[in-house]
Amino acid sequence: MNRALYAAATGMAAAQTNLDVISDNLANADVAGFKGATATFAEIGGAGGPGLGTVSLGEHIVFTQGKLMKSGGPFDVAIDGPGFFSLDDGRGGRAYSRDGSFSRCADGTLRNAQGWRLSGVRLSADALSASVSGDGSVSVTSPGGTRVVAHLRLAEFPAPERLRAIGNTLFAQTPQSGPARLVAPNEENGPRVRFGQLEQSNVSIVEAMMQILTAQRAYEANAKGVQAADEMLRIADNLSRG
Amino acid sequence: MDGIAWASSAMVAARTRLEIATANLANVSTDGFRKHVARGRLTASGVEVDPLVATAQGALRRTGRDFDFAIAGDGWFRVRDGSSIRPTRDGAFVRDRDGRLRDDAGRALQGRHGDLIVPAGASVDERGAVVVAGRVVDSIALPSASALRTGFLETANTDAVTEMVDVMAAQRSFESAEKVVATIDAASRKAAGDVAALK
Repeated sequence: MNRALYAAATGMAAAQTNLDVISDNLANADVAGFKGATATFAEIGGAGGPGLGTVSLGEHIVFTQGKLMKSGGPFDVAIDGPGFFSLDDGRGGRAYSRDGSFSRCADGTLRNAQGWRLSGVRLSADALSASVSGDGSVSVTSPGGTRVVAHLRLAEFPAPERLRAIGNTLFAQTPQSGPARLVAPNEENGPRVRFGQLEQSNVSIVEAMMQILTAQRAYEANAKGVQAADEMLRIADNLSRG
Repeated sequence: MDGIAWASSAMVAARTRLEIATANLANVSTDGFRKHVARGRLTASGVEVDPLVATAQGALRRTGRDFDFAIAGDGWFRVRDGSSIRPTRDGAFVRDRDGRLRDDAGRALQGRHGDLIVPAGASVDERGAVVVAGRVVDSIALPSASALRTGFLETANTDAVTEMVDVMAAQRSFESAEKVVATIDAASRKAAGDVAALK
């Protein structure tokens, strides 16, 4: 009975872990550039017989493409294909993100909501408007005419799934992910950049809701398993009392 | 054999059924999980329950990831855990910078000759072959009748409802067996008392 009790308890813990991950995904479903995570589990094997329950192996980030949507921002860019925007904080810190909503600062840099600068891009002071073409060239229109001022480069990694999430849709390089390699966007065989668009999160709300319901049911069912094991222990105990 | 021994063997069998059902229940969210089913049989010493692995295919769930694999049909993924090779039906892998595919426990997926290496830009086809620029460099060994589905995971081949019903059934059969034990116990106690009163 103890075996059943513990197995059911591991099931409750797993359902809880799953709920945590899914609700985090759901909470960020509206955040541009957000990548959902998935929790994985493994069976605790019993030798030849039924197992001893389940154990969480942790979670990994899912880097599938999010939908591209037209947006109203003056400097919104989206990546269609692999790669990340390369960002720096001006003090030597580096981060990578798929969130391409930038705004122009007084010093000509383009910054995201957290103040990280889009590396390698600086607009001239007299620029009236700016745009990015599919190959990443940034052109500004000033009273003197239109000219290309910078080239946007995307960061690619040998193992992007080994990047570490550091919050706010930002990722940090790790020894496991390998070093960033800067590539120029390419209109023919990707990755492409899309100016005036934003990449939505890759979390499907419908799917996340369904997963929450399933995890909730799994939690309840495992709680029933704990109850049943407990009840049977009580009955066995009564028997010995006569 | 006396009645108490028979009824108590039924209680033990019900306990085993509960252990099987709760172990299955705990793994309803474990991709690639194969449930055990309880098969009861009669022996000279009462009822016994054997756990058997159910090999039925689990439902395939779409994930869209490049290195999520599901086997449609028979066969196993082989993963290396240190120096031992283990079979698994869970095909969720993450690609390392050296091209190895590892599951979240860090175990490396095996190809024909040791760890499977997926070079950058390579794809894995539905026969399990790793293809680089039209050339097969390695493959995941699968039976010829099976297919590899990329971007899918195989869910556990059980669900919470089935297992919860089994939990309830095990509990009820435990209760009935206990009633029988208690009844025989009460009867033999009464008999013992009656015999004592005869003196």
